[in-house]
Amino acid sequence: MELILEKINHSYGDMPVLTDISLSVGSGEIVCVVGPSGCGKSTLLRIIGGLERPTSGEVLMSGEPPADSLNPLTYVFQDFALLPWRTVEGNVRLVLEDHRIGRERVGAVVDDVLARTKLTEFAAAYPRQLSGGMKQRVAIARALSVNPAVMLMDEPLSALDSQTRDLLMDDLIELWTQVRFSACYITHNLAEAVRLGHRIVVMSRRPGRIRDIVEIDIPLSERPGFPTETAAIQRRLWEMMRDEARAADRELSDVA
Amino acid sequence: MSLDRSLPSAAPATEKPGAAPTRPVPFRGSGFTHRPHRHVAPLVFAALLILWEIGSRTGFISNISLPAPTEAAEAMADLFRSGMIWKHLSASLFRLTVGWSLGTLLGIAVGLAIGLFSVARAGLSPLVSALFPIPKIALLPLFIVWFGIGEGSKVATILFGSFFPTVIATYGGVDNVDRSLIRMGQSFGLSWSSIVRKIIIPGALPAILSGFRISASIAIILLVAAEMIGAEYGIGAYILMAGALYAIDQLIAGVALLSLLGLAVAWLIGRAEKMLLGWRI
Amino acid sequence: MFKMTRRTTLRRMTSAMLAASLGLGFTAAAHANDTIKIGILSLTSHSPSIIAAGKGYFGEQGLDVEFVSFQAAQPMAVAIASNDIDFGMTAISGGLISLAEKGAIKIIGGALQETPEIDGQKILAAKAAYDAGLTSPDKLVGHSFGVTTQGSSFHYMAHKIADKAGFDRSEIRIVPMQKVPAVIAALKSGQIDAWSIVPNIAGALTKGPEVVEIGKVSDYIDNYQVTTVFTSTKNVTDHKDLVKRFLAGLAKGIDDYNAAYVDKTLGADDVAAISEMVHKYVYADQPMDKAAPRIAAGAMRINRNAKLNLASVEDQLKWFQSEKLVPGGVTMDDLVDTEFVETF
Ligand SMILES: Nc1ncnc2c1ncn2[C@@H]1O[C@H](COP(=O)(O)OP(=O)(O)OP(=O)(O)O)[C@@H](O)[C@H]1O
Ligand SMILES: [Mg+2]
Repeated sequence: MELILEKINHSYGDMPVLTDISLSVGSGEIVCVVGPSGCGKSTLLRIIGGLERPTSGEVLMSGEPPADSLNPLTYVFQDFALLPWRTVEGNVRLVLEDHRIGRERVGAVVDDVLARTKLTEFAAAYPRQLSGGMKQRVAIARALSVNPAVMLMDEPLSALDSQTRDLLMDDLIELWTQVRFSACYITHNLAEAVRLGHRIVVMSRRPGRIRDIVEIDIPLSERPGFPTETAAIQRRLWEMMRDEARAADRELSDVA
Repeated sequence: MSLDRSLPSAAPATEKPGAAPTRPVPFRGSGFTHRPHRHVAPLVFAALLILWEIGSRTGFISNISLPAPTEAAEAMADLFRSGMIWKHLSASLFRLTVGWSLGTLLGIAVGLAIGLFSVARAGLSPLVSALFPIPKIALLPLFIVWFGIGEGSKVATILFGSFFPTVIATYGGVDNVDRSLIRMGQSFGLSWSSIVRKIIIPGALPAILSGFRISASIAIILLVAAEMIGAEYGIGAYILMAGALYAIDQLIAGVALLSLLGLAVAWLIGRAEKMLLGWRI
Repeated sequence: MFKMTRRTTLRRMTSAMLAASLGLGFTAAAHANDTIKIGILSLTSHSPSIIAAGKGYFGEQGLDVEFVSFQAAQPMAVAIASNDIDFGMTAISGGLISLAEKGAIKIIGGALQETPEIDGQKILAAKAAYDAGLTSPDKLVGHSFGVTTQGSSFHYMAHKIADKAGFDRSEIRIVPMQKVPAVIAALKSGQIDAWSIVPNIAGALTKGPEVVEIGKVSDYIDNYQVTTVFTSTKNVTDHKDLVKRFLAGLAKGIDDYNAAYVDKTLGADDVAAISEMVHKYVYADQPMDKAAPRIAAGAMRINRNAKLNLASVEDQLKWFQSEKLVPGGVTMDDLVDTEFVETF
């Protein structure tokens, strides 16, 4: 299934946040979105997932999602959004319970995603007992359990320390290699973008527009073997972003 | 060290750093923390009782201002010997349980409605704010006309007393449920009822349970008022009768029963919190 | 509700203002009168001391008087026990006996009493209960009877009715309502079946359709000593002279009260003057022309010279003890000091 954004414009009151965003996320493709703080990345992701209506423009789905996809557009949140009163297993179950798919299948799916995210032995633990990295694994397991066509990930790793982040990136790539999900992945971290993205969308400061799209054709699993190439791309991205980021940083925020 | 050269007490400037005399850093981090002291509370309580008893025996505390603790204990023992305690307790517990249960159930329902529906919020929350501070005792004469002098007015007094704090605790709890969790539920396509049952209610539960503590205390406070009218038995009726007869030993015994009841209720709610909110610790 | 201060200077000042406000010649300052505090309820039966103060009978005894108003008899008894006030007048209640047992207060005289020739307390029934057959106090078996509190005079009357009518006391269901207005509301709405009350309230109630008179208390209790005069044990032992002077002043007030309202031997002008004094404390919230007839209505006799019916007091004490409302060990000597007034 492909996801197409056509001329998305959005403003909060008089304040334009997004201007003229056109973009597509192809099947099995990870599109990373980078941009300075407050440029509208999270807003864009909410619009893509149907949690918010754009002022103008449309988000279209082309082609059918996989037949067994329970929730074609699925989020992974920066703050994990786990229910503290449910165990790891219960948190995954939560999103399956509303679908009439039978007890055995729920059990099987839960076991499968917990195994894939290496959480099987923590099935009965509560979120408070888990480290940040483990919590985000649970959130990813939960997202995988509904077999999404597109994963919408809003800075999923930015609450984690850098070692944990590296480990989770490896895990994500491994998961992607098993099942080629598509993803729209928002991040501040250029290293993450270069490690995970097939394409990297660079946005300008608010009102956010697409400044450039950088394509990386090195396969994800092979990227650690090309340190110089990836470093060069990362430098190029940083040069593009630096001025925007500096300007954005000096802007007086009129909201919040 | 070199800066200290001008001070007479400073170490001699000629000494090399390695050779300077050493001393431990003084510990300054004591105090301002609480350690559990299990035996202090019972000891303080016992000491107070003993002082009180001595005061009463020596006449320092006049026998018309307070009974000796032993006299109050004797009055309590009388209640057990005559078996009246069970009549009083069962009458009061019935009123408390029925009134409080109905009050909190209704309170949770209305609180959820206010928390979930903006129409209900607009319509009901000013009403709740207006009615909450009315002392229910002031309405007692009306309650008698509306609900009779039987169990009705007594249960109603306690019901109204526990209803309002529960409403406020519940919708405050709903308001404080982490919005990101609700958004998560929506993003996974959970139905409205699933979001309410699985996210909002459990999320509001801590607030609802602490509302229970308040409403249960209010219910006990109102017990005496509720049993002012036409109650033959009940702890409140017993206290009122003791007051009317100026039987201050019975009065203190009755008040002690109310305190015990309060402790028991607090313990029960503590248990419920442990059971329902085990995930919190 | 009542002032706790015991500072005599303050007492003097307030009583001076009081006397002045009553429009009386006030000469006490010259001979440094003793000041006494009298507790009153705003009922006509408390007017003898008001009259005695107003007419200067206490002044003749070298007493300055300060009145302290109470809402109920119980706190008045407690205030006397704690020496915050000196004298009071109420029905014999469980609270009064308990305080006497603790050695804090003593009955020193009699006040209101049921006498056959004067209209006394009435026994009332709710209309519904009356229609269902409760036409006489003898038929109270199985009915509910309103009282303010357990151990109140109402409770005593209910049981005395049972005794005389010859059925078990437990056959009447006693319903405590704490306050007289609550009993009235319950009786009017038929939530209780019966009650007994002083004639002026009874008269007002039976005027309406909801309440019917079914009997008289005096038919069931002989020479019932309804209220008594009491003071603190401290006054009885340490200030006998003060007590005697108070009773002497009170006796003259009682005579005027009986003459004005019970025997009606006074002229209209004298009655009006007395009612004027009483109105300061009784039905004070109503204009004089409305209050005056209410003050006079259904006044019961107060014993001349505060004579005390010991037999009735003893009967009441026995009843309290038989119902285990007061400790069994209380004696008449604990409760009454008979040296001040004539007893019978
Ligand atoms: N619900 C809202 N109402 C009004 N303004 C909003 C709302 N949500 C976001 N904004 C504003 O819109 C702008 C874009 O916000 P958004 O959260 O999309 O930025 P972002 O790119 O995700 O920023 P960050 O990198 O800090 O996460 C910001 O200025 C923000 O203050
Ligand atoms: Mg954001």
